[in-house]
Amino acid sequence: MPMIEVQNVTKRYRDRVALDAVTFTVEKGEILGFLGPNGAGKSTMMKILTGFLPPTEGSAKVAGFDVFERPLEAKRNIGYLPETPPLYPEMTVRGYLKFVGRLKGVPRAKLKGEVERVASLTGTADVLDRLILALSKGFKQRVGLSQALLGSPPLLILDEPTEGLDPRQRADVLQLIKGLAGQHTVILSTHILPEVKATCQRVLIIHRGKPVAHDDLAKLADPSRETGLEETFIRLTAA
Amino acid sequence: MRNTLAIARKELTLYFTTPWAYLVFTAMAFISSFFFIAMLSTFKQVQEMARIYTWDRMPGDYAAYKNLTDGVAVQLWGVVLIVTLFVAPFLSMRLFAEEKRHKTFELLMTAPVRPIEIVLGKYLGGLAVISATLGLTIVYPIILTVFGGSESGSALEWSTVALGYGGLLLWGATCIAIGMFISSLTESQMLAAFLTFAVLLPWMLIKGLAQSADEPFRSIATYVSFDAQLQDMLKGVLDLKALVFFTSIILLSILFTHRAVEAQRWT
Repeated sequence: MPMIEVQNVTKRYRDRVALDAVTFTVEKGEILGFLGPNGAGKSTMMKILTGFLPPTEGSAKVAGFDVFERPLEAKRNIGYLPETPPLYPEMTVRGYLKFVGRLKGVPRAKLKGEVERVASLTGTADVLDRLILALSKGFKQRVGLSQALLGSPPLLILDEPTEGLDPRQRADVLQLIKGLAGQHTVILSTHILPEVKATCQRVLIIHRGKPVAHDDLAKLADPSRETGLEETFIRLTAA
Repeated sequence: MRNTLAIARKELTLYFTTPWAYLVFTAMAFISSFFFIAMLSTFKQVQEMARIYTWDRMPGDYAAYKNLTDGVAVQLWGVVLIVTLFVAPFLSMRLFAEEKRHKTFELLMTAPVRPIEIVLGKYLGGLAVISATLGLTIVYPIILTVFGGSESGSALEWSTVALGYGGLLLWGATCIAIGMFISSLTESQMLAAFLTFAVLLPWMLIKGLAQSADEPFRSIATYVSFDAQLQDMLKGVLDLKALVFFTSIILLSILFTHRAVEAQRWT
């Protein structure tokens, strides 16, 4: 059974079509690079997969559960980092992560350990007792990522997780995501192509709400050439 | 249930890390103590007058000043009622508007939590903070009991005071429920507070406005007015009709909030 099954998903906002009959599947353990120009519908697709927005037509399944018919079961399998990390500025990092852990059903006895585990994974262990509003943008982004990792959900949906990080933090986060391969399925949305080359095995490119490519990275970009993926991306999204 | 409590707990944490709860507590303590002192001195004056002229020769409307319960406690509850109307919108405004502004609404809606659990958790948090606000005022009847006296032993008739206090809690719970619903409709906390206030105040005053109106409007307005429904409760009369009236408003507000939360996703 694939981790994600998207069937004919269309999303219309009044008369604007954000997604147009999108169909794709993602297998367990894959790291999928989800690409597209700004406004192509990446975030909308992610919001549909996480059950935040309903599709106008079509269906989306996560771990075999329809996101809209069995929302609780589907959501239990997902860790989600939206475009803007969903943080409460007045809470401490620890208080915030404990709150999200409780919502995700992390057992009370394991909560403290789980918070410390994700904090050390994302490098936020030193700021656990600081207020979120006092953190730099890079730390806020990493707290958002920690939240998605709580409870080790099988599927991680990350909307531009490296946004606002400096090159070193960027490399750390990508390394972390790469380390999740195998046990976790990851969808990584970004418009920074070298990041995709560094972390993903498969790539899905959408343009104007339609998938224009879904294949192994090696087939979309000639690995012998440095700019292979860029060329493919520009060619496919030119029209 | 666990999710509801987790959300309620988070709401309380946020109430006490932002200045709003403290501002509201201060306002409530300041205004109610100001009126408490004023009422006490009026009570003392009327009592002294009565000692000179005897109660029989006093005008009828002074009869309430025969004892501390009717002369001070019941009237004080009337003041607390009005203060609650003014401060509750500042407590309820952030419940949903803030989540939408900070984009944390997306976190709640993508967590494995039912929308009704979110609504109930938030309502519980709001209920706790309004109860704490009203809890401050219980100190006045205690002061009266400790320092006051009357011929019949206890200075206050506690059953009357407690029932009035129950009425206040019901009123606070109603304000928060209506405020929560309005907060679920907007991203702006200030707009939510203003609209809540704009709903509560006319609803409170509608009885007075309707006195010159024709029937059947007058009877309907009198019936639905908060003021009319609360009068008996505050005086210590257990009014089942009012209990049903306010409970219905609370339940309807929770239901509407739930619908509003679900509807966000369909726009």
